[in-house]
Amino acid sequence: MNIKGEVVVLVGLAGAGFTLCLAFLWVPSVSTVAFSSPESQRIFYWHVPSAWAAMMANAMLFVGSTVWFFKRRDWAWRLHVASSEAALATGLMVIWSGCIWGSAEWGVPWDWTDVRLNTFAMLTLLSLFIVLGRRTQPDGVETRDTFCTFGMYGFILVPFTYISTRLWQIRHPGPVMATSKGSIDWDMRIVLYCGALSFLAIITGYIISGMRLAQLEMRLEKIQAKYDEVVE
Amino acid sequence: MGMIEISDLSVLRGSNKVLDGFSLTVNEGEVVCLAGENGCGKSTVIEAAAGLISLENGTSRISGQLIRDSEGRRGRTKFGLCLQDDCVMGDELVGERIMDAAEFNFDVSAFLDDWNLKHRTHDRIAVLSGGQRRKVAVMSGIIPALVSKEPVAVLLDEPDSGLDSNSIEHLSQCLRNLAAGGHAILIASHEPKIIDSADRVVYFPFDEEKNTPPAGKFEQVKTISQRKPMVGHRLNLRTLSGFANNGIAGLLTLGAMIALFDAPNLDGRTQLGFIMAPALAAGLCGNPINRLLMENRSHAWWITKSGILPNSIFHSLILYILLTLLSSITTDYTDMTVILVGGILGIFTEITMAIMTQATLRLSRPNAVIIKLLTPILILPWAIVVDNLAT
Repeated sequence: MNIKGEVVVLVGLAGAGFTLCLAFLWVPSVSTVAFSSPESQRIFYWHVPSAWAAMMANAMLFVGSTVWFFKRRDWAWRLHVASSEAALATGLMVIWSGCIWGSAEWGVPWDWTDVRLNTFAMLTLLSLFIVLGRRTQPDGVETRDTFCTFGMYGFILVPFTYISTRLWQIRHPGPVMATSKGSIDWDMRIVLYCGALSFLAIITGYIISGMRLAQLEMRLEKIQAKYDEVVE
Repeated sequence: MGMIEISDLSVLRGSNKVLDGFSLTVNEGEVVCLAGENGCGKSTVIEAAAGLISLENGTSRISGQLIRDSEGRRGRTKFGLCLQDDCVMGDELVGERIMDAAEFNFDVSAFLDDWNLKHRTHDRIAVLSGGQRRKVAVMSGIIPALVSKEPVAVLLDEPDSGLDSNSIEHLSQCLRNLAAGGHAILIASHEPKIIDSADRVVYFPFDEEKNTPPAGKFEQVKTISQRKPMVGHRLNLRTLSGFANNGIAGLLTLGAMIALFDAPNLDGRTQLGFIMAPALAAGLCGNPINRLLMENRSHAWWITKSGILPNSIFHSLILYILLTLLSSITTDYTDMTVILVGGILGIFTEITMAIMTQATLRLSRPNAVIIKLLTPILILPWAIVVDNLAT
């Protein structure tokens, strides 16, 4: 049985657990001057890597959608299916961790006027729309084209989300890595990289196994169609 | 060059390649009938010719104008269309619908009399029987040719389904009369009388047979004046759909906010958010005519007539301005700029909703998709507008 994807997901989950341990037990606390709730800042080691992973999953969704739309490759549709689910999972991870952190740090879990918060929520809702919507439709070129169109146009939100804290910083903090204002401490950076690798492994494994699952579904559908012909 | 030209057509429907390299030309004064078993691709040819489905390969042209190609290019020209679905909205009036299809005002009751529907001229289509509704759909398909001095293409997909034998007889005579007027007709049918009235019959897959049907006599229907349809606004006035959907949503939002907040004592951002919220809530319901267009797949028929589907955008603008004015009055803060911005914000929201809804119309179950999931995308522009107005 081909379980490469599942193994990679398990490795990623172990890494995410290890990151959490480091975040709580090893990384020094942040300044009480800069943060009103320094302890809750530790969620950052899951929040930021999952956001990077979500961006990558959305990039994969864009690639899958575009290649299917213009080239009609079956692997691209499978990539679209798997990466939309990965984008949804990581997006929800970012949102709930952000809400918890926001409640502790800002006193409110959400701010409808913050561009970064909203554009990211849109991206996650788009993945939710694609995942749920696809399940309501029979597989076919009309379904694939329509959801790939949403996948392609939705990608506009990715660069928009990326630059949002640079152009309109309202509540969400700006970039913390390698900016003109400096970068975060090395101890913190190591844990962040560990988290990033773990979440990368999770989405990679998920996409591999998701694509395999989609392929199996497509095979099953073809077999059922052949069976229908025999029965008729 | 033919009036209807389909070349090298390949079409996927679901997971199946329904057409592969199919070509067909229908010349002026010719009736071509597509015949064959269910699911063989007759309707696909008609819909591809009308530009309603995307093509994997090939092009569709009508009267020399590109209608659709595999690269996604689209064009539009005048032609008659009757699809397998009736494509009529229940709230349209019979006579009105025929004139909208013709794009001319004319003595519609005489025309309806030929089809035994004169007594139904001013009735809503919703009250007709299935067969009568089919007649309206068929008449809508052939009327653009009947009122035209120039040859026009007519695409009819199983127009005879649900019609009684007299009506089928009348339809086959109509086809011969249209051909005598130089019009080009492409028709899909299983009905022997219709097949016999065709000059050529294409049996799927693929055999062609020539007929020698009797000649007809074409009489052009005299028109009075060009007709500006304004279908959306007319339907909105008749059904009050805009008020019932969007207006009530806006009023309920306003009522709930009045109950929750001390409206006259709000200030700054909160006050402006309060004023703008009813227009946003109303706009999120989308264009009311879009709902009506989902009936009997009407949107597919209308999209061949015009790039923009029928809508009631001016009524909506007035509604959103009124809602913003009303919420302004409850906060004791009336500013014309704010009221106008509320109206524009509502329209922007409504148009975005319409675009999102239309993007899903190609799906086999468009109503099953939860398009409302994407509506939060409209909260950010609303919040930014409120924030900017407050500062």
